[in-house]
Amino acid sequence: MSELRKDIISGRWVILAAERSKRPDDFRPAQPGKKEAETGFCPFCEGNESKTPPEVFSLRRKGTRKDKPGWWVRVVPNKFPALNRGTPPARHDEGIFQWMDGVGVHEVIIESPAHDKELSDLPLYHLEYVLETYKNRVISIEKEFQYKYVHAFKNKGRDAGASLSHSHSQIVATPIIPKGVNEELYSCERLHRRFEECIFCRIIRDETRIGDRLVLRNDDFCVVTPFAPRFPFEMRIYPVRHSSWFTTLNKKEIEALGKTLKTVLGKLKDILSDPPFNYFIHQAPNPNFPHEAWANLEKSYHWHIEIIPVLTRVAGFEWGTGFYINPVPPETAAAFLRG
Amino acid sequence: MKKKLLVVEDEQNLCLLYKEELTKEGYRVAVAMNADAALKLIKKQKFDLIVTDIRMPVKNGIELITQIMALRKDIPIIINTAYQSYKHDFMTWAADAYIVKSSSLDELKSKIRELVG
Repeated sequence: MSELRKDIISGRWVILAAERSKRPDDFRPAQPGKKEAETGFCPFCEGNESKTPPEVFSLRRKGTRKDKPGWWVRVVPNKFPALNRGTPPARHDEGIFQWMDGVGVHEVIIESPAHDKELSDLPLYHLEYVLETYKNRVISIEKEFQYKYVHAFKNKGRDAGASLSHSHSQIVATPIIPKGVNEELYSCERLHRRFEECIFCRIIRDETRIGDRLVLRNDDFCVVTPFAPRFPFEMRIYPVRHSSWFTTLNKKEIEALGKTLKTVLGKLKDILSDPPFNYFIHQAPNPNFPHEAWANLEKSYHWHIEIIPVLTRVAGFEWGTGFYINPVPPETAAAFLRG
Repeated sequence: MKKKLLVVEDEQNLCLLYKEELTKEGYRVAVAMNADAALKLIKKQKFDLIVTDIRMPVKNGIELITQIMALRKDIPIIINTAYQSYKHDFMTWAADAYIVKSSSLDELKSKIRELVG
């Protein structure tokens, strides 16, 4: 069983895979293996369903059977997860140290049966299937109230942490709210009191008016390079309609988000020569779990997607200070991205 | 009929240990000290299960597993490694189990029983 441990000073929780037999060279960068394309086998490809755990959700052609070919999007639990499902974990204390059992959910969303199709290559209807799948899985996991936070994210490319090139996303649910999300929630509450409106709604309005950092805008979504981005070409996708939860998206908004995401990822691919990237959805904590800590959560927090192309390295200065040195001003990045 | 296992392990002492311990458990055990030797054996003989290390010279266990998949997708494979970090590599999903090496072989033996009896 893995453990969640809290750093008393920063308040940050870490997942420790508390199994045996650690050696110092466990942390040496692994030799890059030959890509799956060269060896011809990929556990995510259609036809290899037996190599994954049984699916927990799929969108598939009528008449096809679970864990058999015929799917468009397929969700399976992680075969070798860092966190395992379980009952609500007790928090343990030993003097100043706090920890709990590593309980959680870790699922993999296989976005396409075809190995060589990237998310931005998929037809629009298929991208909507992927987004509907995110929504379905987050809602389903949130029914288990012990998971206070459900995080959906995508790593694309080895330098962004993806071990397979077959297009996929992941969902990790934890019994604690991650520190970064917590800080964002508190900050939004504070700013809501100060400006008497949701800070994200204000950003959408101001960025639309100013236009310098606006990448695209449609009726339902607004894409910007943020005013103080940590990384070159970092982008945020904001829904125009205020909502704290991604899971409140309606059918029309899913269609619009599909179009928006396809456009934005297509731009990244064209302009930056197909860079590795990460994106993740930031939304409010599990609505089935009481959130007294944020009295105005529904008014103050606004879900969004953050997209981070991996073009620079985080090094000693950034780790040590929390400052980021970004060589590309967001106004320049937005101008490139608008084309 | 005794089940036939192939153990792929680059440390000679461990090869001897696995062969001895698994033979005692009632299996027929072949060993290969690198991936290419393992592939040669797999092409010639029919194994009921393969146990492989990951970090080996020349060709690592993940490359070996993907090459085995091209030959026989149905053969159960156990990854038996000292390294946790490969769990993050989804290519390990080609295997049926992932075991972190320990001085006790109980987990390995129990997983083998679970997969081939």
